[in-house]
Amino acid sequence: MTRRPSDGPAAGVDTSGDAPAVDSPPVEAPAVVELRGITKRFPGTLANDSVDLTVRRGEIHALMGENGAGKSTLMSVLYGMERPDAGSIRIEGREVSFGSPGTAMAAGLGMVHQSFKLFDSLTVAENVVYRAEPRRFGLLDRAAARRRVRELAEEHGLAVDPDARVGDLPVGLRQRVEILKLLHRGARTLILDEPTAVLTPAEADALFAVLRSLTAQGRTVILVTHKLREVLEGSDNVTVLRDGRVVARLRTADTTAAEIATAMTGRAVDLDRVHPEGSPGEVVLDVEGLSTAGVRELRLTVRAGEIVGIAGVAGNGQSELVEALAGLRPVTAGRVGLRGEDITHASATERRAKGLAYVPEDRHAVGTAPAATVADNLAMGHHRTTLASPRGLLPPSAVRAHARALVERFGIKASTPDVPASALSGGNLQKLLIGRELAHGAPLLLVEQPTRGVDIGAIQAIHDELVAYRDAGHAVLLVSAELSEIRGLADRVLVMYEGRVTASYAKSDADEATLGLAMAGGTAEPVAATATAAATAVATPAPTAAAPNTPAPDGD
Amino acid sequence: MARPSTDRITRALRSPVTFSVLAGLVIGALFLVGTGADPFAAYGAVVTGSLGADGIGATLSTVTSVLGMALALAIPLRAGLINLGGDGQMVLGGIAAAVTGLYSPLPAPLTVVLALLAGITAGAGYAALAALCENRFGVPLLVSSLLLSYPATSLASYLVRYPLKEPGSSLPQTRRLPEGVALPAFGTSTVTFGLVLVVLAATAYWFADRRTAIGYEIRMTGLNPRFAAYAGVERKGLTLRLMATSGAIAGLVGAIGVLSFPYRFLDGSLTAPGYTWTGLTAALLAAAAPLGTVLASFFFAVLQVGGLSMERTTEVPRELTQVLQAIVIVFLAARPSFSRRRRKTVQEPIAQGEFA
Repeated sequence: MTRRPSDGPAAGVDTSGDAPAVDSPPVEAPAVVELRGITKRFPGTLANDSVDLTVRRGEIHALMGENGAGKSTLMSVLYGMERPDAGSIRIEGREVSFGSPGTAMAAGLGMVHQSFKLFDSLTVAENVVYRAEPRRFGLLDRAAARRRVRELAEEHGLAVDPDARVGDLPVGLRQRVEILKLLHRGARTLILDEPTAVLTPAEADALFAVLRSLTAQGRTVILVTHKLREVLEGSDNVTVLRDGRVVARLRTADTTAAEIATAMTGRAVDLDRVHPEGSPGEVVLDVEGLSTAGVRELRLTVRAGEIVGIAGVAGNGQSELVEALAGLRPVTAGRVGLRGEDITHASATERRAKGLAYVPEDRHAVGTAPAATVADNLAMGHHRTTLASPRGLLPPSAVRAHARALVERFGIKASTPDVPASALSGGNLQKLLIGRELAHGAPLLLVEQPTRGVDIGAIQAIHDELVAYRDAGHAVLLVSAELSEIRGLADRVLVMYEGRVTASYAKSDADEATLGLAMAGGTAEPVAATATAAATAVATPAPTAAAPNTPAPDGD
Repeated sequence: MARPSTDRITRALRSPVTFSVLAGLVIGALFLVGTGADPFAAYGAVVTGSLGADGIGATLSTVTSVLGMALALAIPLRAGLINLGGDGQMVLGGIAAAVTGLYSPLPAPLTVVLALLAGITAGAGYAALAALCENRFGVPLLVSSLLLSYPATSLASYLVRYPLKEPGSSLPQTRRLPEGVALPAFGTSTVTFGLVLVVLAATAYWFADRRTAIGYEIRMTGLNPRFAAYAGVERKGLTLRLMATSGAIAGLVGAIGVLSFPYRFLDGSLTAPGYTWTGLTAALLAAAAPLGTVLASFFFAVLQVGGLSMERTTEVPRELTQVLQAIVIVFLAARPSFSRRRRKTVQEPIAQGEFA
């Protein structure tokens, strides 16, 4: 690896300080990644407009921007997945032109994608050494692979069992495997795309500790994210993109969340709004002793005019609970009541007819058909009720009129209702999905991860819609991995751990530390705080066994 | 109205289907030149042989069977289900129609109706069996439908060789149907009222696909089965209904085959021309879209009939038309990767949030 002073015009590289200190980010460290004037045009869009980005050795550099701001395109260019129309890339002082991620890796770059690229059925060691296997007589040397993983894990504080099957690992550990993979291949600069989207606060903290130790060794981290909190806590410098251009370069120490948010959106935004409480009425959803795979003897109620938030680390039964409530997963024991009617064994269609709407977690795989048009996607669930004639006819004109009305009402940005849903941005697709389900006006709304991967502007719009829906007298059960979302929206917060509700808090008592502890299985205040909350959602005795800071995998 | 329709035309011209068909024709022409034949003369012979006064009748009766089977396969395919048992369902339909035609005590016209219904019922029931195998026992539909096809054709084969065999004949065939037990033909041609029935079925499919709630559910199931299931579309029930419909049309094709020339069930006469596979090809070519299925069926019927006349007039073997068919399909099979690449460049700036 040769490093020489850059001769680029705007680089301004200072080669004097080469040894980064651990604590104070080395401002004077040499640039590891220098993008100059990167321009990438797609038909109809200028995704990157002469973007400059300088990332110095040993720093954690956050690249921020809303969906569509061009950060993904920029990283694709850097990682050799897209060729820029103009501009130059220097890695460690050397001008490069990557034709593929393979050449980028050879130059010391490594990327952890948002959706992990791992083989679930293989072991950790096998995944880590994949495509760079230690060989013996031309065959995979498993012992060496295991040894290598152990060494790397120890060196970087990334404890993980080399023989565990990746499919059995919780998300936080899978992410470690991804990082180990890059380290095994000798990556000196790590690009992480939305790394904390699936982690608990504690896991996120652990990840940042790992990243810190990596940078202390002289490695460099580029963090692609839209989460302000972790950028403020974990990064050294921030580059903000908007509409394909760099709109701000900030030193983290000198900036504030509001400044970054304003740069990202181009307007002042109100962060961490806590919505006023609702006024709960009659019980709409009544769950008694519900058990299904991953959920054990769960009790909860949701009243009209109330948002009940379920907090918990992913994989503690939240998805299973919601699927069981939506009629997509058989219930093995217990009873589910919807407005006094027993729907324990009702089909999904019957539940919808009785007044249930559902925004699922995975909007691409479950919540929509991306290949279908916006109009067809908006019609789902309405196609047998309001849009259809009694004889089962579904006039295309009705479908399109319905779509136009919802596009208008929920501010979905789609040129016409006839474009495929896959052409919408993440935030707009989510608005489509939430708009479609809200339009049912169902007494009970189940919402999972309503704002995952959605930009700030859309998050506010979605939150306002949910609160307005509650205020109209509907019951909302909200499952979210974002604590700030739960705290901002929910009138009551339940914590799920290992398939049970282990704690319940009134809005005022649900501070981040308390919830974080309960989510990790801790039991500082085992049972709910206020009388009203306790009356409706009582915890089964919380497991008092020592709780690891990573979630246990489901029972299988 | 003008703009959408021109949009539609440009889109159709740019579609991979058009590309595949043109590529097939060009490569076929290269083959012809390579063997020393004149491609224009050969293609001319295909067109005149199939669409000229002498050929149009044969083409239309071929269309009857090809379109029928194409519909039978397209309807489940629209929901992502593949029925590979078309042969068995068609043959059972044929044998049921033959038995009804031979033994029905009713007057001839009513017997024809009854025979058609018998064919439809037999095909539907047998296809439903394949669906039940998947729903109840978890046998993949692809496997259950294909494997159930063999006993059905074998059973028919047995029946016409032994219990139903025409006395004194050396062929494995039933007796000829009684006088009048036949579908009315158009003039002196071999084109029967069966064509009308099949076209009616295609029209019904088009209508259901575009303008009914069930058609909507079928399309959404085909585009994303988990999305449909999430909204409450019950997959097992849908599979059963679609397979029954598919088998009913296959059975109808079999019944039409028996109630037209040669007016009897002759072992192998329904399956030998390969209508099931040509139909499957047509349905795949059209991605099961109703109008496209009709066009593709017509295209393949033209190739099949025209190929024969090309062989007669230009000494180019008719296998060339099969080469053409194969090339078209190969190009179409390549479509996913090729349109994905195009789509990627178009959509990436829009779908920024997620890395590919």
